[in-house]
Order: sequence, then structure tokens, then C-alpha cells
Amino acid sequence: MALVGALIVFAGLVLLSTTIYIFPKILMLWEKRQIELEKNQKMQMEDKPKEQQALSLPKQFPSDINEVANLYKPLIEELDETFYLTDLYEISKKYDFPHPHITLAAFRDSEILISHGEGVFTWNQPEDNENE
Amino acid sequence: MELLFQFLTNTGYWLADYRQIIMIVVGSVFVYLGTAKEYEPLLLVPIGFGILVGNIPFFKGFGLGIYEPNSVLHYLYFGVTTGLYPSIIFLGLGAMTDFSSLLARPILMLLGAAAQMGIFFTLLSALALGFLPKEAASIAIIGGADGPTSIFLTAKLAPHLIGPIAIAAYSYMALIPVIQPPIMRLLTTRKERLIRMKELRDVPKKELVIFKALAVLLCCFLAPASIPLLGMFFFGNFLKECGVTDRLAQTARTAIIDTATILLGLTVGASTQGDVFLTGKSVGIFLLGAVAFSIATASGLIFAKIMNLFLKEKINPLLGAAGVSAVPGSAREVHVVGQSEDPENFLLMHAMACNSSGVIGSAICAGILWSFMLA
Repeated sequence: MALVGALIVFAGLVLLSTTIYIFPKILMLWEKRQIELEKNQKMQMEDKPKEQQALSLPKQFPSDINEVANLYKPLIEELDETFYLTDLYEISKKYDFPHPHITLAAFRDSEILISHGEGVFTWNQPEDNENE
Repeated sequence: MELLFQFLTNTGYWLADYRQIIMIVVGSVFVYLGTAKEYEPLLLVPIGFGILVGNIPFFKGFGLGIYEPNSVLHYLYFGVTTGLYPSIIFLGLGAMTDFSSLLARPILMLLGAAAQMGIFFTLLSALALGFLPKEAASIAIIGGADGPTSIFLTAKLAPHLIGPIAIAAYSYMALIPVIQPPIMRLLTTRKERLIRMKELRDVPKKELVIFKALAVLLCCFLAPASIPLLGMFFFGNFLKECGVTDRLAQTARTAIIDTATILLGLTVGASTQGDVFLTGKSVGIFLLGAVAFSIATASGLIFAKIMNLFLKEKINPLLGAAGVSAVPGSAREVHVVGQSEDPENFLLMHAMACNSSGVIGSAICAGILWSFMLA
């Protein structure tokens, strides 16, 4: 009984001291990870305003479809020459363009978006419209 | 005339017994040591005064004595017999303890474990001397040199021995400056006593706070019977370190622990009524208590020397003597002995690490012994 008791106490305190020994190392790793995460977040925050600045949208969207198409131009440049409509839809949502679904439908109606079948499209904005 | 005679026969002078006179002398010695010599005055003064109060002869059946169910002292004694005061004292003790030195040097915790060997050696000795297993376990815990833990376990296992065990435990705690230094000098060389310890690292607050949660879980999962002690101990320490409950921590380490100490000391002292206390068993308990405390000190010292065989960076083996849980008496004594050899050697903080580990160790031991006896 005495031997078992002594062994239990010893095992308990050895376990506790080992935990105390390892604990600061785990804490340090955790803090390092936190610092890295914060750094990454900071960098992302710094990058984000630039993107938003590049795609800053007017408070009131124009009613003319060609003017709207001009606003969509930077998005089209991010895509390949032929692209899926879903990709354009996703990217316009990402940059908070208002009502992308309706706008893309209007682009199709006015043949600014040309369908090549199976969801693939090309951008067809006349040069003079682009300069407007 | 008859009324006057009847009154006289009811006075303490008439009813006095030689055993009560002996205990009154013992109580006076305690009060003297506490006040004049300042040996653990916060313990010895209430206990000594309690011995005086408890041994005043009285007419039995008036509801005056501590063992009479309707007496005021009996109600105050309730906190002892239920283990309530020790738990409250552990709360205050937790709110006082600084674990930073232990966290900075966790290996010192092993010395706290080694010093508990006195408990198990005494358990075997008490069993060999014919004490019942529950009595032997209660006597053995004196080796932890922790008054509240001894009272807590005895209240659970052998309540009839609370008086002698509590007096023995507190006496040996008060006699640390007399008992420990000779053992320290006997078991260490001068060269060993001169070993200087490396400066401790600063422990971040976060580490201190999270340690409490880890420690309470690890220790109480191992010995759930120690929850009333260790749960309160780590809770008190959490109040101290978490940074948002300073008022509660302040109350726990002042008013609460002081109230519990006063009531515990006074009632434990009063429980030593001569006719109940002065028995052969009490003498045996005192002798075994001395053996337990000495072996605990020696095992800590010897284990520190054994550790030095394997460690690159040697530790001062005197620290082993602080592995008993007499906080902060034994740590102070280690520091004093270390400084008597080299006044520039500061061992106090390192010894406090062993001391706080000893508190945890002895509470775990109490939990283990309680579980063994229930099995």
C-alpha cells in the first residue's frame, strides 16, 4: 500500500512537472502562430484597399448599358479572352457590383456578351463605347 | 452554607485533575513559544490559548466542553470535524502562493514529491506499532508537515485522533528551526551547501493563469479525494493571478484565512482535554510524527543529491528539505542555512518552488490515503 501510494504521488508530480516544462514551449509556438496570422491579416488588409480603390464604384450606377459595361471592363481584364459566365458573375459579386444577375442579362441582350455555347462567352464592347 | 459548598464543588479549583494541569502547562508553553520566542505565533498562540480554555475543569453536562453536543465550542469544532476549516485555509493559502519560481524551474517539483516519502514510511511504522489502518494513515500524513491537510484527513479517517495529530503536526511545523537544520547539515557536505542556483526566468502572466487550470485537472483527476484541498488551493491562486478578482484574492488571503486559522487553532487546542488527550496513543503519535517529519526532510535532501548525479547543472541539495509543505517555514530555514555558509547565496525563491510543490504533494497524498482506506 505504501509503495503504491508513493509511486502514485511521484507519478502525479512527475506528470505535472513535465507538463509545466513543455507548457511554455507550446505557448511560445502558439504565440508565434498568432503573430504570423496577425502579420498575414495585416498584409491582406493593406492589399485590399488597393484593389478596392482600383475598382471603386460610383455611388449611383449609370442607367446607360454602355457606361455600365465600362465599369465592368476591369473585371473582364482579370478573365481570359473566353470565359464562363459564372466566373464573371462570381467576380462581379466579389467586388460588390449591384445586381450582377440583371446586369449580365442586359449585357447579353445588348450583345456586349456573346455566347459561344456551353456557358462560354466573350466580351464584345465596341471601341467607341469604351472611350465614352 | 450548603449553597456555598455546592458552589465550591462546581468550581474548576475543586474539579481540577492532574491531566488538565499538565495540559494547562503545555498550553502555557505554546503561548510562551508563540509570543516570547515568536515560533509560528499565528499557529501556536490560538492553539496554546485553546489548550488553556479546553482544559479548564467544568461540571460535566452543562454543555460547556468541546465534546458536549450542545456547547458553543462544539459548534465551532464542527468546522474541524467536517474538514471545513482546512479547505478554507487552502483557499487563502492559494491566494498567497506565488508559483512563478516553480514554473520557472519545474524540475524542483520532484523534491516536493520525494519529501512525501516520510508519509509512506510512517504509514508502515504506525501499522507495525499496532495502529489501525485508518489511524496509521492519519498519523502518517503528519510527515507532510501540513497542519490543515493532517486535520482534514484525520477528520475523515480517525476523528478521535484529531487533537493529538493536529497538535503534533502544528508543533513540528513550529519546531522547523529546531528539527530541520541538524538533518540538513548531517546529510550534506559544505561544498554542496555552497552550490549557487541559476537565476530564475521571468514567467509570463498567461503561463501563470493557465497553469492553475492544468494543475487542478491533472492532480484532481489523479486523486479526486484531494478536491476539497487542491480545488480550493488552485481556485485561491487563480483569484490571485487572473487579474480581475484582486478584491476577492485580497479577502481570501487576509480576512478569510485569518478567521479560519483562529477558529481552527482555538478549537483544536480546546480539543486536547486532558482526560481525552493524555493517553499512550497520543505519545505514540507524537513520536511517530517526529519520525515522519525527519524522514520527510531527509528524503528530500537525499533525492536532491541523487538528482545531482544526473544533472549537468547541479542543484543545492538543501532545497530538498523544503519539499515538505510547511509554507514558508521550511523554505525560510533552507535559505537561512544556505546563507550561514555563504551570505551571498539566495535560495529562498528556489526553496519556495519546492515548498509549493510540497503543498500539492501532501494534498495528493491525503487524497490517495483517503481513497485507499475507502477501498
